Amino acid sequence: MNALVRLAGIMVAATSLSAPVLAQTTVVAPSGSTAGTYMDYMKTVYDRGTGSELLQIPIATFDKEFELTPMAAESWTQSEDGLTWTFKLRPGLVWSDGEPLTAEDFVFALQRAATSGYDFAWYWDFAGGIKGWKEVTEGTADVSTLGLKAVDDLTIEVTTVAPKPYLPSVTSLWYPVPKHKVDELGDDWALDVATIVSSGPFEIESWEKSNNSVVFTKSDTYTGPWSPMIDRLELDPTLNAPEVGLPAFLAGDADYSFLNTGQVPVATARYPDGIRKNAVFATSYISYDLDAAPFNDVNVRRAFYYAVDRAELTSTVLKDIAIPAGSILPPGYPGYNPDIAAEAVFDPEKAKQFLADAGFPNGEGFPEVEIWYREEGGYNGAIVPAMAQYLQAEFKEVLGISLNIRALPGPEWMDGLRGKKNNIFIAPYEYDYLDPSNFYGIFYNGGRHGYFIPEYDEIIAKADSESDWDTRYKLYAEAEQLMIDQGLILPLVHPVTIAVVSDQLTGDGVAPNSLGFTQLDRLGHYFFTHITKQ
Amino acid sequence: MFTHIIRRILSVAFTFIVVSIIIFLMMHSVPGGPFDANDMPVSEAVRAKMMAQWGLDQPLHVQYFNYMWGVLHLDFGVPFQSPGETVVELISRAWVPSLILGGTGVLIGAPLGILLGMAAALNRNTWIDYLASTLATLGLTIPVFVTSMLLILIFAVWLNWLPASGWPQPNRWILPIACYAAIPLATYARYTRSAVLDTLNRPFVTVLRAKGLSERRIVFQHVMRNSAIPLVTVFLPMFIGTATGSIFVEAMFRVPGLGAYFVSSIEVRDYTLQMALMLLITFMYCLAYLLSDIAYALLNPRIRVGGAE
Repeated sequence: MNALVRLAGIMVAATSLSAPVLAQTTVVAPSGSTAGTYMDYMKTVYDRGTGSELLQIPIATFDKEFELTPMAAESWTQSEDGLTWTFKLRPGLVWSDGEPLTAEDFVFALQRAATSGYDFAWYWDFAGGIKGWKEVTEGTADVSTLGLKAVDDLTIEVTTVAPKPYLPSVTSLWYPVPKHKVDELGDDWALDVATIVSSGPFEIESWEKSNNSVVFTKSDTYTGPWSPMIDRLELDPTLNAPEVGLPAFLAGDADYSFLNTGQVPVATARYPDGIRKNAVFATSYISYDLDAAPFNDVNVRRAFYYAVDRAELTSTVLKDIAIPAGSILPPGYPGYNPDIAAEAVFDPEKAKQFLADAGFPNGEGFPEVEIWYREEGGYNGAIVPAMAQYLQAEFKEVLGISLNIRALPGPEWMDGLRGKKNNIFIAPYEYDYLDPSNFYGIFYNGGRHGYFIPEYDEIIAKADSESDWDTRYKLYAEAEQLMIDQGLILPLVHPVTIAVVSDQLTGDGVAPNSLGFTQLDRLGHYFFTHITKQ
Repeated sequence: MFTHIIRRILSVAFTFIVVSIIIFLMMHSVPGGPFDANDMPVSEAVRAKMMAQWGLDQPLHVQYFNYMWGVLHLDFGVPFQSPGETVVELISRAWVPSLILGGTGVLIGAPLGILLGMAAALNRNTWIDYLASTLATLGLTIPVFVTSMLLILIFAVWLNWLPASGWPQPNRWILPIACYAAIPLATYARYTRSAVLDTLNRPFVTVLRAKGLSERRIVFQHVMRNSAIPLVTVFLPMFIGTATGSIFVEAMFRVPGLGAYFVSSIEVRDYTLQMALMLLITFMYCLAYLLSDIAYALLNPRIRVGGAE
């Protein structure tokens, strides 16, 4: 009898011990890419460990209405001449190992980025415009000449080459790096779960490097805004492909999944309340080699511009996983101008006329061209191959032009673009920060496509440093008009992703915003801290 | 026999060197480098700095000799994809899941295939034969990503008996193992069926029958042994092919295995890993064929005697 009582006692104790574990909420989500090198956003962006941005606190970030929200910074001010920004940090922020998080950690993050071959270094030049950035990254100036200064533990000063009225939104991708850890271990601090420290809402528990999946837990030491409402978060890139994600979701192994076009009707019928649309601030467009025939002729480019029926493309071929693009800026994005976007109409007669003006009536004598696109997964992988075939048919029908299609792996495509090894490309671009300068910067002074258009560069330089927002937007509209008139690019579509979300997931993160879109993992800091699970 | 083996080992070494040169040249002749995959081009100065840092700015032959010198010392370098470890560490880590799933798949699939093939041969032109042949044809022709999808749909989504995918709990291994088993099962069923039928039609079987041996003794003692030769030759190469993982099976079942690295190392121009994986596969196949040859010789007196001449 005594033994029985003791056994019962042990069982009660065991149950009470295990109860908190059972009550833990774990969200399993698709995210990231399967290749991850360092768990450090300020070391590598494209090959980063999954969720490395969630481990750290940015200066500021966006909420689901795309309002810029202070995170590590409490406030910021711009100097009279517009060249210097001062960011005041929130007091009391600490690293997960207890060390205080200081302005020095932010300054160090960018100093190291400028000197270590950071793959995202261009961002701090073309978006940030930080004084001395270009010279330091190219090794012609010392890192101490950078326009960055930790004035005291809580104050950061940033000096830019020209006034950058939108700099605070650029800082949404500025994360701190634990200087004390780098001093001790070098870049390797971000390779091992045991040495990784975080400053953001989550801490790392485990990291499976073979597929770059991670398990995060809610941070105990985080004192900044937006504390997580869940206890654990599993981010798994292998769930990204809808073909894998949806079965896992149906079997209860994932809390949401992205859908491919074939899955949308099935999932909608089964989970009518679980379907979410996610606007991706991205654009697929055609770019040309402006220096070589036949695309050095503006009439040829304008002929192409009017030869695409974007509405038919998105509604039939793409089954609404994209919307027509009339400009490089997507709807809802700051500076988006619906009047200019409306100019992108399908007008076969105009297209034919432009082509005839270029000396190729009905496409006669037009050389055979090959359009190059980049092989990839994700939303672009779902859109671009089908779109290329549609364009092939469309250009044949409307312009009488033979267009061949070639798919290339990422590095080869980029090599072709960089070296102008082909004259026409389908190029996708997704925003980095919410400001028109982001998209217009792609074509500024060489940029991504080797475009050098002095009039364009002049407008963009003026717009980028203009402090009056109405004037800025007007200047960007002027730049867009110039792109249309010269047919510099051919905007095709803006992608939309569709996902199915479990009814157990609740919270503001899964509720659509005022435009009817959710953001899921795109605005990770907002999304993962604004969901809860029942 | 001995000289035969020595000759084979020398030819393996030669193959290894030729393959390494070809792969190295092919790898570097593909346009685009490890620092080209991003959305915006890296500036020339930064690119040059990175290339120098990884020794990629040196002439190709120097790079080749440096690499092979390392290989001789079992130093395969550091994978660009996973800078915190060596290539050897990465492979030994990622190979485990692939070996467990693929290896088990072959070890289950092959004996089942032999049984199926024997049943088909011994019951030729009956429903058993037709069923076995149909299964074998289906197993070989249906792509593995379709099989995986069907298995997930039936057992995870509809019946809810097993998890859809994932790692590391062993109940998540069942479906991928079933997938991996399909190909050796089908291959072996077909090989066994034709080998057994072929042997059954040989004159010595007629002699054995005329001598009055029981059909059971004829089949198990004589036919099986004589039919084993082609089966032995395919086993090891097939084992290696499967136990190094499949990108499709591993992607469908979310297995953190080696399979994906074969593709990703090429995609991201991870030269060190790409080279190591190719050399590994070359070495394994050479070894497999060498061992198969030896086993073949041991099983077949004609070869044994012929080799000794």
